[in-house]
Amino acid sequence: MGNGLYFEDIKVGDALPELSKGPIAKLQHVLYAGASGDFNPLHTDDDFAKAVGMKDGVISHGMLIMGFVGQAITAWVPRRCLKKFGVRFAGMTKPGNTITVSGAVTDKRQENGENLIFCEVVARDEGGDVKIAGNFSAALPLKRG
Amino acid sequence: MADSTKVGKTFDPIVWEVERGKIREMAKAIGDPNPIYLDREAAIRAGYRDTPVPPTFLTVPMMWSSSMPVLINDLKINFMMVLHGEEEYEYYRDIYPGDTITGIPRVASVEEKTSKAGKKMDMVTVEILYKNQHNEDVAKARTLLVERK
Repeated sequence: MGNGLYFEDIKVGDALPELSKGPIAKLQHVLYAGASGDFNPLHTDDDFAKAVGMKDGVISHGMLIMGFVGQAITAWVPRRCLKKFGVRFAGMTKPGNTITVSGAVTDKRQENGENLIFCEVVARDEGGDVKIAGNFSAALPLKRG
Repeated sequence: MADSTKVGKTFDPIVWEVERGKIREMAKAIGDPNPIYLDREAAIRAGYRDTPVPPTFLTVPMMWSSSMPVLINDLKINFMMVLHGEEEYEYYRDIYPGDTITGIPRVASVEEKTSKAGKKMDMVTVEILYKNQHNEDVAKARTLLVERK
């Protein structure tokens, strides 16, 4: 259940395995629009996006990039262990960008019978610009018991 | 500007039947190859009852319902000036295919802030608590909308 990840083995400062996604194709925006139900043409129609001030055309759904972060988290921490996951959308992502998700453990403690780890996560593009900054907590199993 | 008298107001429930195909579609759109989202047998081998939902799945019932546009209109927020500032989820229980989840959107707060550049913005926080068909809390979604003025 713990993917072999146990509370005792986690140290503050440990890094989340990095995940690289992209370069993002416009087609992925179409797939994500259909999956999520977010049909705002800002993400799929270059003419519309330009008309509302995006000189290069469409921008990615912020929730797609949060989805990348969720992928990175649950590739490491089992889905069931995830307790809380929150992000701030810090910058716009465009087709062609390659997004790298990284993160680190900032705290761990036992609370109300749960073995919690707290981590920060960040998604950056190939130029290092931050797109998402956030954090998550997860309740991990103990080796004993 | 956002109508601060609407703090505490709740909106029509979002009712959503969770389907395995929609979970797979979401994982594929993200490009997440984790087999627990794609394959029931793999999920069962990993200790789940069926394919669990990816961490950001609750955007699906929210976006496929018209709840956010209704709320934005009701709060008199200028749709062209609104940005998605933050999103947060708390997870209480697993959500599986066959579950029917019901979420009630609620305006948690409306605050005016001034950016570092001196521009005024309204910060509107919307919370949606989702329950399953057994009336158990399964998750909470918190969305921060930023209306530039």
